[in-house]
Amino acid sequence: MANVDPVKVGVLFSETGTTSTIGLSQLKGTLLAIEEVNEAGGINGRELVPVCLDPQSNPLVYTQLASRLILEEGVNVIFGCYMSSSRKAVVPVIEKWNKLLFYPTLYEGFEFSNNLIYTGAAPNQNSVQLAEFMTNHFGARIFLIGSDYIYPYESNRIMTDLVLQKSGAAKLGEHYVELAATEADFGPIMKEIRDQRPDFIFSTVVGNATASLYRAYAEAGFDPKTMPIASLTTSEAEVHQMGADVAEGHFTSAPYFQSIDSDANRRCLARFQRRFGSDCVPNQCWEAAYFQVHMFANAMREVGSDEIAELMPHVLTQEFNAPQGRVRIDPRNHHTCLYPRIGRANSEGQFTIVREAKRAVHPDPYLVTYSLGDWTAELDMLP
Amino acid sequence: MTSQRPIRASTPALLKDLRSLKVLVMHPDDGDGRELTQQLTRIGCQVQAVWPPLPTLPEGVDAVFLAVRPGLDESTLAWARGEETPILVAVVTYENPTIVGLVLRLGAKAVLPSPVRSFGVLSALVLARKVAEDLKETSKHVNKLQAKLLSHRRIADAKSILMRTRGIGETEAYELIREQAMSRRRTTEEIALSIVNANEILTTGWSK
Repeated sequence: MANVDPVKVGVLFSETGTTSTIGLSQLKGTLLAIEEVNEAGGINGRELVPVCLDPQSNPLVYTQLASRLILEEGVNVIFGCYMSSSRKAVVPVIEKWNKLLFYPTLYEGFEFSNNLIYTGAAPNQNSVQLAEFMTNHFGARIFLIGSDYIYPYESNRIMTDLVLQKSGAAKLGEHYVELAATEADFGPIMKEIRDQRPDFIFSTVVGNATASLYRAYAEAGFDPKTMPIASLTTSEAEVHQMGADVAEGHFTSAPYFQSIDSDANRRCLARFQRRFGSDCVPNQCWEAAYFQVHMFANAMREVGSDEIAELMPHVLTQEFNAPQGRVRIDPRNHHTCLYPRIGRANSEGQFTIVREAKRAVHPDPYLVTYSLGDWTAELDMLP
Repeated sequence: MTSQRPIRASTPALLKDLRSLKVLVMHPDDGDGRELTQQLTRIGCQVQAVWPPLPTLPEGVDAVFLAVRPGLDESTLAWARGEETPILVAVVTYENPTIVGLVLRLGAKAVLPSPVRSFGVLSALVLARKVAEDLKETSKHVNKLQAKLLSHRRIADAKSILMRTRGIGETEAYELIREQAMSRRRTTEEIALSIVNANEILTTGWSK
Protein backbone atom coordinates (compact mmCIF):
# COMPACT_ATOMS: atom_id res chain seq x y z
CA MET A 1 0.00 0.00 0.00
CA ALA A 2 1.36 3.36 -1.00
CA ASN A 3 1.48 5.97 1.74
CA VAL A 4 -1.08 8.65 0.89
CA ASP A 5 -1.04 10.48 4.22
CA PRO A 6 -0.69 14.24 3.83
CA VAL A 7 2.64 15.77 4.86
CA LYS A 8 2.31 18.68 7.29
CA VAL A 9 4.98 21.37 7.04
CA GLY A 10 5.40 24.40 9.31
CA VAL A 11 5.41 27.93 7.84
CA LEU A 12 6.67 30.70 10.12
CA PHE A 13 6.70 34.16 8.55
CA SER A 14 5.54 37.40 10.18
CA GLU A 15 2.25 38.60 8.74
CA THR A 16 2.14 41.49 11.21
CA GLY A 17 4.71 43.76 12.88
CA THR A 18 7.75 45.68 11.64
CA THR A 19 8.97 43.11 9.09
CA SER A 20 5.55 42.02 7.82
CA THR A 21 6.00 43.32 4.27
CA ILE A 22 8.79 40.86 3.50
CA GLY A 23 7.24 38.25 5.82
CA LEU A 24 4.00 38.25 3.86
CA SER A 25 5.86 37.95 0.56
CA GLN A 26 7.87 34.99 1.90
CA LEU A 27 4.66 33.38 3.12
CA LYS A 28 3.02 33.73 -0.28
CA GLY A 29 6.11 32.57 -2.14
CA THR A 30 6.07 29.48 0.09
CA LEU A 31 2.36 28.88 -0.51
CA LEU A 32 2.74 29.25 -4.29
CA ALA A 33 5.45 26.58 -4.32
CA ILE A 34 3.42 24.27 -2.07
CA GLU A 35 0.43 24.60 -4.44
CA GLU A 36 2.68 23.84 -7.42
CA VAL A 37 4.03 20.74 -5.67
CA ASN A 38 0.49 19.57 -4.94
CA GLU A 39 -0.72 20.29 -8.49
CA ALA A 40 2.14 18.14 -9.72
CA GLY A 41 0.91 15.18 -7.66
CA GLY A 42 2.31 16.14 -4.26
CA ILE A 43 5.20 14.16 -2.81
CA ASN A 44 4.72 10.81 -4.54
CA GLY A 45 0.95 11.19 -4.16
CA ARG A 46 1.07 12.71 -0.69
CA GLU A 47 -0.34 16.22 -0.33
CA LEU A 48 1.79 18.96 1.28
CA VAL A 49 -0.27 20.72 3.96
CA PRO A 50 1.13 24.02 5.24
CA VAL A 51 0.50 24.96 8.88
CA CYS A 52 0.99 28.75 8.84
CA LEU A 53 1.46 30.67 12.09
CA ASP A 54 2.16 34.41 12.50
CA PRO A 55 5.11 35.21 14.83
CA GLN A 56 4.27 38.96 14.65
CA SER A 57 7.93 40.04 14.06
CA ASN A 58 8.63 39.09 17.69
CA PRO A 59 11.49 36.66 18.55
CA LEU A 60 9.72 35.36 21.67
CA VAL A 61 6.66 34.45 19.63
CA TYR A 62 8.93 32.78 17.06
CA THR A 63 10.29 30.47 19.79
CA GLN A 64 6.79 29.65 21.08
CA LEU A 65 5.32 28.99 17.66
CA ALA A 66 8.27 26.87 16.52
CA SER A 67 7.69 24.67 19.59
CA ARG A 68 4.00 24.52 18.83
CA LEU A 69 4.58 23.49 15.22
CA ILE A 70 6.85 20.67 16.34
CA LEU A 71 5.10 19.48 19.51
CA GLU A 72 1.43 20.04 18.68
CA GLU A 73 1.32 19.95 14.88
CA GLY A 74 3.98 17.27 14.59
CA VAL A 75 5.89 18.87 11.69
CA ASN A 76 9.41 17.72 10.80
CA VAL A 77 10.22 20.66 8.53
CA ILE A 78 9.69 24.40 8.99
CA PHE A 79 10.06 27.14 6.39
CA GLY A 80 10.58 30.50 8.03
CA CYS A 81 12.31 33.46 9.67
CA TYR A 82 13.49 36.82 8.35
CA MET A 83 15.60 38.83 10.81
CA SER A 84 18.61 37.10 12.40
CA SER A 85 17.01 37.54 15.82
CA SER A 86 14.05 35.43 14.64
CA ARG A 87 16.36 32.70 13.30
CA LYS A 88 18.38 32.66 16.53
CA ALA A 89 15.09 32.31 18.44
CA VAL A 90 14.05 29.27 16.39
CA VAL A 91 17.38 27.42 16.00
CA PRO A 92 17.57 26.08 19.60
CA VAL A 93 14.04 24.64 19.28
CA ILE A 94 14.85 23.07 15.91
CA GLU A 95 18.09 21.57 17.23
CA LYS A 96 16.53 20.36 20.47
CA TRP A 97 13.94 18.27 18.60
CA ASN A 98 16.25 17.52 15.67
CA LYS A 99 13.98 19.04 13.03
CA LEU A 100 14.84 20.93 9.83
CA LEU A 101 14.55 24.68 9.16
CA PHE A 102 14.75 26.23 5.69
CA TYR A 103 15.77 29.90 6.05
CA PRO A 104 15.13 32.04 2.93
CA THR A 105 16.78 35.32 3.89
CA LEU A 106 20.09 37.06 3.26
CA TYR A 107 21.98 37.35 6.56
CA GLU A 108 25.39 38.24 8.03
CA GLY A 109 27.01 34.77 7.93
CA PHE A 110 29.03 33.05 10.69
CA GLU A 111 26.54 30.33 11.32
CA PHE A 112 26.20 26.68 10.54
CA SER A 113 23.77 24.18 11.98
CA ASN A 114 23.21 20.60 10.95
CA ASN A 115 19.49 21.40 11.22
CA LEU A 116 19.42 24.39 8.85
CA ILE A 117 19.44 25.09 5.15
CA TYR A 118 20.24 28.72 4.22
CA THR A 119 18.87 29.84 0.84
CA GLY A 120 19.47 33.61 1.05
CA ALA A 121 22.73 35.39 0.23
CA ALA A 122 25.80 35.28 2.47
CA PRO A 123 27.94 38.46 2.50
CA ASN A 124 30.34 37.10 -0.12
CA GLN A 125 27.35 36.89 -2.47
CA ASN A 126 26.13 40.47 -2.15
CA SER A 127 28.38 42.83 -0.08
CA VAL A 128 31.61 42.31 -2.01
CA GLN A 129 29.91 42.96 -5.34
CA LEU A 130 28.14 46.06 -4.03
CA ALA A 131 31.36 47.53 -2.57
CA GLU A 132 33.19 46.92 -5.84
CA PHE A 133 30.47 48.53 -7.92
CA MET A 134 29.83 51.54 -5.71
CA THR A 135 33.47 52.44 -5.11
CA ASN A 136 34.28 52.15 -8.82
CA HIS A 137 31.38 54.36 -9.86
CA PHE A 138 30.95 56.82 -7.04
CA GLY A 139 34.01 56.77 -4.77
CA ALA A 140 35.02 55.42 -1.40
CA ARG A 141 33.85 58.10 1.02
CA ILE A 142 31.02 56.30 2.73
CA PHE A 143 28.24 57.05 5.19
CA LEU A 144 26.55 54.12 6.98
CA ILE A 145 22.95 53.97 8.21
CA GLY A 146 21.44 50.79 9.66
CA SER A 147 18.72 49.39 11.84
CA ASP A 148 19.90 48.75 15.38
CA TYR A 149 20.59 44.99 15.37
CA ILE A 150 23.20 42.42 14.49
CA TYR A 151 22.82 42.25 10.69
CA PRO A 152 23.61 45.95 10.12
CA TYR A 153 26.57 45.89 12.55
CA GLU A 154 28.18 42.96 10.75
CA SER A 155 27.29 44.22 7.25
CA ASN A 156 28.78 47.61 8.10
CA ARG A 157 31.97 45.99 9.37
CA ILE A 158 32.33 44.11 6.08
CA MET A 159 31.48 47.15 3.94
CA THR A 160 33.94 49.32 5.90
CA ASP A 161 36.74 46.75 5.54
CA LEU A 162 36.09 46.58 1.79
CA VAL A 163 35.76 50.27 1.13
CA LEU A 164 38.83 51.19 3.19
CA GLN A 165 40.96 49.17 0.75
CA LYS A 166 40.45 51.96 -1.79
CA SER A 167 42.64 55.03 -1.90
CA GLY A 168 40.93 58.17 -0.64
CA ALA A 169 38.49 56.07 1.37
CA ALA A 170 36.80 57.45 4.47
CA LYS A 171 34.01 56.51 6.83
CA LEU A 172 32.17 59.77 7.40
CA GLY A 173 29.44 58.54 9.73
CA GLU A 174 27.77 55.47 11.17
CA HIS A 175 24.25 55.65 12.58
CA TYR A 176 21.78 53.09 13.87
CA VAL A 177 18.03 53.68 14.11
CA GLU A 178 15.26 51.74 15.81
CA LEU A 179 13.39 49.15 13.75
CA ALA A 180 10.29 51.32 14.01
CA ALA A 181 12.13 54.50 12.91
CA THR A 182 10.07 57.16 11.14
CA GLU A 183 10.99 59.90 8.67
CA ALA A 184 11.58 62.33 11.55
CA ASP A 185 14.28 60.05 12.99
CA PHE A 186 16.27 60.37 9.78
CA GLY A 187 16.09 64.21 9.74
CA PRO A 188 19.24 64.87 11.82
CA ILE A 189 21.14 62.20 9.89
CA MET A 190 20.28 63.86 6.57
CA LYS A 191 21.62 67.12 7.99
CA GLU A 192 24.89 65.41 8.80
CA ILE A 193 25.03 63.90 5.31
CA ARG A 194 24.56 67.37 3.84
CA ASP A 195 27.64 68.53 5.78
CA GLN A 196 29.76 65.44 5.13
CA ARG A 197 28.96 64.97 1.41
CA PRO A 198 29.82 61.23 1.16
CA ASP A 199 30.25 59.54 -2.24
CA PHE A 200 27.44 57.15 -1.39
CA ILE A 201 25.26 56.08 1.54
CA PHE A 202 25.25 52.41 2.59
CA SER A 203 21.88 51.50 4.09
CA THR A 204 21.22 48.40 6.15
CA VAL A 205 17.89 49.75 7.36
CA VAL A 206 15.34 46.94 7.17
CA GLY A 207 11.58 46.58 7.43
CA ASN A 208 9.06 49.34 7.17
CA ALA A 209 11.64 51.98 8.22
CA THR A 210 13.29 51.61 4.79
CA ALA A 211 10.63 53.70 3.09
CA SER A 212 11.11 56.45 5.72
CA LEU A 213 14.85 56.62 5.03
CA TYR A 214 14.43 57.01 1.27
CA ARG A 215 11.65 59.57 1.75
CA ALA A 216 13.82 61.56 4.15
CA TYR A 217 16.58 61.46 1.53
CA ALA A 218 14.20 62.73 -1.17
CA GLU A 219 12.85 65.42 1.19
CA ALA A 220 16.42 66.62 1.79
CA GLY A 221 16.71 67.20 -1.96
CA PHE A 222 19.72 64.93 -2.52
CA ASP A 223 20.46 63.54 -5.98
CA PRO A 224 20.93 59.77 -6.49
CA LYS A 225 23.01 60.52 -9.59
CA THR A 226 25.83 61.88 -7.46
CA MET A 227 25.24 60.40 -3.98
CA PRO A 228 23.00 57.31 -4.19
CA ILE A 229 21.91 54.95 -1.44
CA ALA A 230 23.34 51.43 -1.80
CA SER A 231 21.56 48.59 -0.04
CA LEU A 232 21.44 44.82 0.36
CA THR A 233 17.86 44.77 1.61
CA THR A 234 15.88 47.38 -0.31
CA SER A 235 13.89 45.20 -2.69
CA GLU A 236 10.91 45.74 -5.00
CA ALA A 237 8.66 45.36 -1.94
CA GLU A 238 10.24 48.32 -0.13
CA VAL A 239 10.29 50.30 -3.39
CA HIS A 240 6.55 49.65 -3.73
CA GLN A 241 6.03 51.02 -0.19
CA MET A 242 8.02 54.23 -0.77
CA GLY A 243 6.96 54.84 -4.37
CA ALA A 244 9.00 54.41 -7.56
CA ASP A 245 9.77 58.13 -7.79
CA VAL A 246 11.41 58.09 -4.33
CA ALA A 247 13.49 54.96 -5.05
CA GLU A 248 14.60 55.78 -8.58
CA GLY A 249 18.35 55.90 -9.08
CA HIS A 250 19.33 54.03 -5.89
CA PHE A 251 21.20 50.70 -5.97
CA THR A 252 20.60 47.27 -4.47
CA SER A 253 22.73 44.12 -4.57
CA ALA A 254 20.70 40.88 -4.56
CA PRO A 255 20.63 37.48 -6.30
CA TYR A 256 17.10 38.08 -7.53
CA PHE A 257 15.19 40.93 -9.13
CA GLN A 258 11.78 40.66 -10.83
CA SER A 259 13.37 42.07 -13.96
CA ILE A 260 15.55 38.98 -14.57
CA ASP A 261 15.14 38.09 -18.22
CA SER A 262 14.40 34.35 -18.14
CA ASP A 263 11.45 32.09 -18.92
CA ALA A 264 11.59 30.45 -15.48
CA ASN A 265 11.29 33.87 -13.83
CA ARG A 266 8.55 35.23 -16.12
CA ARG A 267 6.44 32.08 -15.75
CA CYS A 268 6.83 32.07 -11.97
CA LEU A 269 5.83 35.75 -11.72
CA ALA A 270 2.80 35.15 -13.97
CA ARG A 271 1.60 32.17 -11.89
CA PHE A 272 2.11 34.18 -8.71
CA GLN A 273 0.09 37.12 -9.98
CA ARG A 274 -2.76 34.86 -11.18
CA ARG A 275 -2.91 33.21 -7.76
CA PHE A 276 -2.22 36.11 -5.38
CA GLY A 277 -2.90 39.27 -7.40
CA SER A 278 -0.54 42.23 -7.35
CA ASP A 279 -0.83 43.34 -3.70
CA CYS A 280 2.14 41.25 -2.68
CA VAL A 281 5.40 42.31 -4.34
CA PRO A 282 7.91 39.58 -5.29
CA ASN A 283 11.49 40.21 -4.11
CA GLN A 284 14.72 38.32 -3.31
CA CYS A 285 13.32 36.84 -0.07
CA TRP A 286 10.14 35.80 -1.84
CA GLU A 287 12.16 34.00 -4.48
CA ALA A 288 14.30 32.12 -1.92
CA ALA A 289 11.13 31.18 0.00
CA TYR A 290 9.69 29.88 -3.27
CA PHE A 291 12.59 27.79 -4.56
CA GLN A 292 13.52 26.26 -1.20
CA VAL A 293 10.10 24.55 -1.01
CA HIS A 294 10.72 22.93 -4.39
CA MET A 295 14.18 21.80 -3.30
CA PHE A 296 12.67 20.25 -0.17
CA ALA A 297 9.89 18.57 -2.19
CA ASN A 298 12.33 17.12 -4.75
CA ALA A 299 14.56 15.78 -1.97
CA MET A 300 11.58 14.21 -0.21
CA ARG A 301 10.39 12.63 -3.45
CA GLU A 302 13.76 10.89 -3.68
CA VAL A 303 13.74 9.45 -0.16
CA GLY A 304 10.03 9.36 0.77
CA SER A 305 10.58 10.75 4.25
CA ASP A 306 10.74 14.16 5.89
CA GLU A 307 12.73 12.89 8.88
CA ILE A 308 15.94 14.94 8.94
CA ALA A 309 18.32 11.97 9.19
CA GLU A 310 16.94 10.45 5.98
CA LEU A 311 16.05 13.66 4.18
CA MET A 312 19.21 15.76 4.72
CA PRO A 313 21.60 13.78 2.47
CA HIS A 314 19.11 14.31 -0.38
CA VAL A 315 18.58 18.01 0.38
CA LEU A 316 22.35 18.55 0.21
CA THR A 317 22.56 17.31 -3.38
CA GLN A 318 19.61 19.36 -4.68
CA GLU A 319 19.78 21.64 -7.68
CA PHE A 320 16.84 23.64 -8.97
CA ASN A 321 16.00 25.96 -11.86
CA ALA A 322 14.98 28.90 -9.72
CA PRO A 323 13.80 32.23 -11.14
CA GLN A 324 17.35 33.64 -10.55
CA GLY A 325 19.04 30.71 -12.35
CA ARG A 326 20.08 27.16 -11.52
CA VAL A 327 20.80 27.11 -7.79
CA ARG A 328 22.26 24.34 -5.66
CA ILE A 329 23.02 23.64 -2.04
CA ASP A 330 26.69 23.60 -1.01
CA PRO A 331 26.88 20.44 1.16
CA ARG A 332 29.93 21.73 3.07
CA ASN A 333 28.12 24.61 4.72
CA HIS A 334 24.37 24.13 3.96
CA HIS A 335 24.20 27.53 2.23
CA THR A 336 23.23 28.01 -1.43
CA CYS A 337 25.17 28.81 -4.60
CA LEU A 338 23.54 32.00 -5.94
CA TYR A 339 23.90 34.62 -8.69
CA PRO A 340 24.95 38.07 -7.38
CA ARG A 341 23.42 40.99 -9.25
CA ILE A 342 23.41 44.78 -8.94
CA GLY A 343 20.17 46.59 -9.75
CA ARG A 344 19.38 50.28 -10.14
CA ALA A 345 15.82 51.25 -9.20
CA ASN A 346 13.95 52.63 -12.21
CA SER A 347 10.84 54.73 -12.74
CA GLU A 348 8.57 51.66 -12.93
CA GLY A 349 9.40 50.52 -9.39
CA GLN A 350 11.59 47.75 -10.78
CA PHE A 351 15.35 47.30 -10.90
CA THR A 352 17.38 47.69 -14.05
CA ILE A 353 20.08 45.05 -13.69
CA VAL A 354 23.45 46.69 -14.35
CA ARG A 355 25.76 43.83 -13.33
CA GLU A 356 25.23 40.10 -13.01
CA ALA A 357 27.22 36.95 -12.33
CA LYS A 358 27.25 34.45 -15.19
CA ARG A 359 28.10 31.57 -12.88
CA ALA A 360 26.68 30.81 -9.45
CA VAL A 361 28.92 32.03 -6.63
CA HIS A 362 29.64 29.55 -3.83
CA PRO A 363 28.58 30.68 -0.37
CA ASP A 364 31.41 31.32 2.12
CA PRO A 365 29.60 32.19 5.37
CA TYR A 366 32.77 32.23 7.50
CA LEU A 367 34.74 34.66 5.36
CA VAL A 368 36.22 37.29 7.70
CA THR A 369 38.49 39.19 5.35
CA TYR A 370 37.19 40.29 2.02
CA SER A 371 39.20 41.77 -0.75
CA LEU A 372 38.01 43.81 -3.65
CA GLY A 373 38.86 42.27 -6.98
CA ASP A 374 38.23 38.65 -5.93
CA TRP A 375 37.14 36.57 -8.90
CA THR A 376 33.93 35.83 -7.02
CA ALA A 377 33.14 39.51 -6.90
CA GLU A 378 33.55 40.16 -10.59
CA LEU A 379 30.30 40.66 -12.33
CA ASP A 380 29.71 40.87 -16.01
CA MET A 381 28.63 44.19 -17.40
CA LEU A 382 25.35 43.99 -19.21
CA PRO A 383 25.23 45.44 -22.72
CA MET B 1 15.88 58.11 18.42
CA THR B 2 19.18 57.46 16.79
CA SER B 3 22.42 56.37 18.33
CA GLN B 4 25.90 56.92 17.04
CA ARG B 5 28.50 54.38 18.00
CA PRO B 6 32.08 55.52 18.18
CA ILE B 7 33.66 54.78 14.84
CA ARG B 8 35.08 51.38 15.55
CA ALA B 9 38.44 50.06 14.55
CA SER B 10 38.05 47.63 11.68
CA THR B 11 38.19 43.86 12.04
CA PRO B 12 40.68 42.63 14.68
CA ALA B 13 43.85 40.98 13.37
CA LEU B 14 43.11 37.83 15.37
CA LEU B 15 40.07 37.31 13.14
CA LYS B 16 41.67 38.46 9.92
CA ASP B 17 44.34 35.78 9.78
CA LEU B 18 42.14 32.80 10.72
CA ARG B 19 42.50 31.40 7.21
CA SER B 20 46.29 31.24 7.42
CA LEU B 21 46.25 29.21 10.66
CA LYS B 22 47.57 25.64 10.65
CA VAL B 23 45.36 23.71 13.03
CA LEU B 24 45.95 20.17 14.19
CA VAL B 25 42.92 18.22 15.41
CA MET B 26 44.18 15.46 17.71
CA HIS B 27 40.94 13.65 18.16
CA PRO B 28 39.58 10.18 17.39
CA ASP B 29 37.72 10.05 14.08
CA ASP B 30 34.25 10.03 15.68
CA GLY B 31 31.26 12.39 15.55
CA ASP B 32 33.01 15.04 17.65
CA GLY B 33 36.25 14.77 15.67
CA ARG B 34 34.45 15.11 12.36
CA GLU B 35 32.23 17.99 13.51
CA LEU B 36 35.34 19.82 14.72
CA THR B 37 37.32 19.21 11.53
CA GLN B 38 34.38 20.22 9.33
CA GLN B 39 33.70 23.40 11.28
CA LEU B 40 37.38 24.43 11.23
CA THR B 41 37.33 23.81 7.48
CA ARG B 42 34.24 26.00 7.12
CA ILE B 43 36.00 28.73 9.08
CA GLY B 44 38.77 28.32 6.53
CA CYS B 45 41.71 27.15 8.69
CA GLN B 46 44.24 24.70 7.27
CA VAL B 47 43.17 21.61 9.16
CA GLN B 48 44.86 18.27 9.69
CA ALA B 49 43.32 15.51 11.82
CA VAL B 50 45.43 12.91 13.65
CA TRP B 51 44.90 10.25 16.30
CA PRO B 52 46.53 8.98 18.48
CA PRO B 53 48.35 12.10 19.76
CA LEU B 54 51.72 12.81 18.14
CA PRO B 55 54.85 12.94 20.33
CA THR B 56 56.27 15.70 18.12
CA LEU B 57 54.35 18.22 16.09
CA PRO B 58 54.68 18.91 12.37
CA GLU B 59 56.40 22.18 11.43
CA GLY B 60 54.45 25.42 11.78
CA VAL B 61 51.39 24.28 13.73
CA ASP B 62 49.64 27.31 15.25
CA ALA B 63 46.91 25.60 17.27
CA VAL B 64 46.02 22.13 18.51
CA PHE B 65 42.55 20.88 19.43
CA LEU B 66 43.25 17.92 21.70
CA ALA B 67 40.80 15.29 22.95
CA VAL B 68 41.58 15.25 26.67
CA ARG B 69 40.14 12.03 28.03
CA PRO B 70 40.84 9.57 30.82
CA GLY B 71 43.86 7.48 29.93
CA LEU B 72 45.56 10.18 27.86
CA ASP B 73 49.29 9.56 28.22
CA GLU B 74 50.83 12.88 29.28
CA SER B 75 54.34 11.67 28.58
CA THR B 76 53.55 11.70 24.85
CA LEU B 77 52.68 15.40 25.02
CA ALA B 78 56.08 16.94 25.73
CA TRP B 79 55.37 19.52 23.03
CA ALA B 80 52.64 21.05 25.19
CA ARG B 81 55.21 22.19 27.78
CA GLY B 82 57.87 23.78 25.60
CA GLU B 83 58.68 27.50 25.28
CA GLU B 84 57.15 28.18 21.86
CA THR B 85 54.20 25.82 22.07
CA PRO B 86 51.16 26.09 19.80
CA ILE B 87 47.90 27.22 21.34
CA LEU B 88 46.04 24.34 22.94
CA VAL B 89 42.26 23.95 23.07
CA ALA B 90 41.06 20.97 25.10
CA VAL B 91 38.04 18.97 23.94
CA VAL B 92 36.60 17.32 27.03
CA THR B 93 34.00 14.63 27.63
CA TYR B 94 34.22 14.89 31.46
CA GLU B 95 34.73 17.80 33.78
CA ASN B 96 35.71 15.90 36.92
CA PRO B 97 38.85 17.00 38.82
CA THR B 98 40.99 14.37 37.07
CA ILE B 99 40.24 15.78 33.63
CA VAL B 100 40.17 19.45 34.64
CA GLY B 101 43.52 18.91 36.37
CA LEU B 102 44.93 17.42 33.19
CA VAL B 103 43.59 20.36 31.16
CA LEU B 104 45.38 22.75 33.54
CA ARG B 105 48.67 20.81 33.44
CA LEU B 106 48.63 20.83 29.65
CA GLY B 107 48.24 24.62 29.67
CA ALA B 108 45.05 24.68 27.58
CA LYS B 109 43.84 28.19 26.79
CA ALA B 110 40.22 27.21 26.09
CA VAL B 111 37.89 24.26 26.49
CA LEU B 112 35.27 22.83 24.14
CA PRO B 113 32.75 20.50 25.74
CA SER B 114 31.60 17.30 24.04
CA PRO B 115 29.31 16.81 22.16
CA VAL B 116 31.07 19.32 19.92
CA ARG B 117 28.74 21.75 18.15
CA SER B 118 29.79 23.91 15.24
CA PHE B 119 28.67 26.94 17.24
CA GLY B 120 31.42 27.99 19.67
CA VAL B 121 34.46 26.62 17.84
CA LEU B 122 35.36 29.99 16.29
CA SER B 123 35.01 31.87 19.58
CA ALA B 124 37.06 29.26 21.46
CA LEU B 125 39.85 29.43 18.90
CA VAL B 126 39.98 33.23 18.81
CA LEU B 127 39.80 33.55 22.59
CA ALA B 128 42.55 30.95 23.10
CA ARG B 129 44.78 32.89 20.69
CA LYS B 130 44.00 36.13 22.51
CA VAL B 131 44.84 34.61 25.92
CA ALA B 132 48.08 33.12 24.57
CA GLU B 133 49.05 36.40 22.93
CA ASP B 134 48.30 38.39 26.09
CA LEU B 135 50.32 35.96 28.23
CA LYS B 136 53.27 36.24 25.87
CA GLU B 137 53.07 40.04 25.90
CA THR B 138 52.76 40.09 29.67
CA SER B 139 55.75 37.84 30.26
CA LYS B 140 57.81 39.92 27.83
CA HIS B 141 56.82 43.00 29.79
CA VAL B 142 57.64 41.35 33.13
CA ASN B 143 61.10 40.33 31.87
CA LYS B 144 61.75 43.88 30.76
CA LEU B 145 60.65 45.29 34.11
CA GLN B 146 62.77 42.78 36.00
CA ALA B 147 65.84 43.75 33.98
CA LYS B 148 65.11 47.41 34.58
CA LEU B 149 64.65 46.87 38.31
CA LEU B 150 67.96 45.04 38.54
CA SER B 151 69.71 47.82 36.68
CA HIS B 152 68.25 50.43 39.04
CA ARG B 153 69.40 48.44 42.05
CA ARG B 154 72.95 48.16 40.64
CA ILE B 155 73.18 51.86 39.98
CA ALA B 156 71.90 52.60 43.50
CA ASP B 157 74.48 50.22 44.97
CA ALA B 158 77.29 51.77 42.92
CA LYS B 159 76.19 55.24 43.94
CA SER B 160 76.25 54.39 47.63
CA ILE B 161 79.71 52.82 47.26
CA LEU B 162 81.02 55.96 45.62
CA MET B 163 79.33 58.19 48.19
CA ARG B 164 80.89 56.20 51.02
CA THR B 165 84.38 55.77 49.59
CA ARG B 166 84.79 59.26 48.15
CA GLY B 167 82.68 61.24 50.53
CA ILE B 168 80.52 62.81 47.79
CA GLY B 169 76.78 63.43 47.45
CA GLU B 170 74.31 61.31 45.48
CA THR B 171 74.15 63.69 42.50
CA GLU B 172 77.91 63.79 42.16
CA ALA B 173 78.08 60.00 42.48
CA TYR B 174 75.64 59.57 39.63
CA GLU B 175 77.47 62.18 37.54
CA LEU B 176 80.66 60.20 38.02
CA ILE B 177 79.02 56.99 36.80
CA ARG B 178 77.52 58.78 33.83
CA GLU B 179 80.81 60.42 32.82
CA GLN B 180 82.56 57.06 32.96
CA ALA B 181 79.80 55.50 30.85
CA MET B 182 80.13 58.31 28.27
CA SER B 183 83.90 58.17 27.99
CA ARG B 184 84.04 54.36 27.83
CA ARG B 185 81.00 54.11 25.57
CA ARG B 186 79.21 51.73 27.87
CA THR B 187 75.89 51.85 29.66
CA THR B 188 75.55 53.31 33.13
CA GLU B 189 74.40 49.88 34.24
CA GLU B 190 77.64 48.24 33.06
CA ILE B 191 79.75 50.87 34.83
CA ALA B 192 77.68 50.40 37.98
CA LEU B 193 78.23 46.67 37.80
CA SER B 194 82.02 47.14 37.49
CA ILE B 195 82.03 49.41 40.54
CA VAL B 196 80.01 46.94 42.59
CA ASN B 197 82.26 44.02 41.49
CA ALA B 198 85.45 45.97 42.21
CA ASN B 199 84.14 46.95 45.60
CA GLU B 200 83.31 43.34 46.40
CA ILE B 201 86.85 42.26 45.52
CA LEU B 202 88.32 45.04 47.65
CA THR B 203 86.00 44.31 50.54
CA THR B 204 86.92 40.64 50.36
CA GLY B 205 90.59 41.64 50.39
CA TRP B 206 90.16 43.83 53.47
CA SER B 207 88.35 41.26 55.42
CA LYS B 208 91.19 38.76 55.00
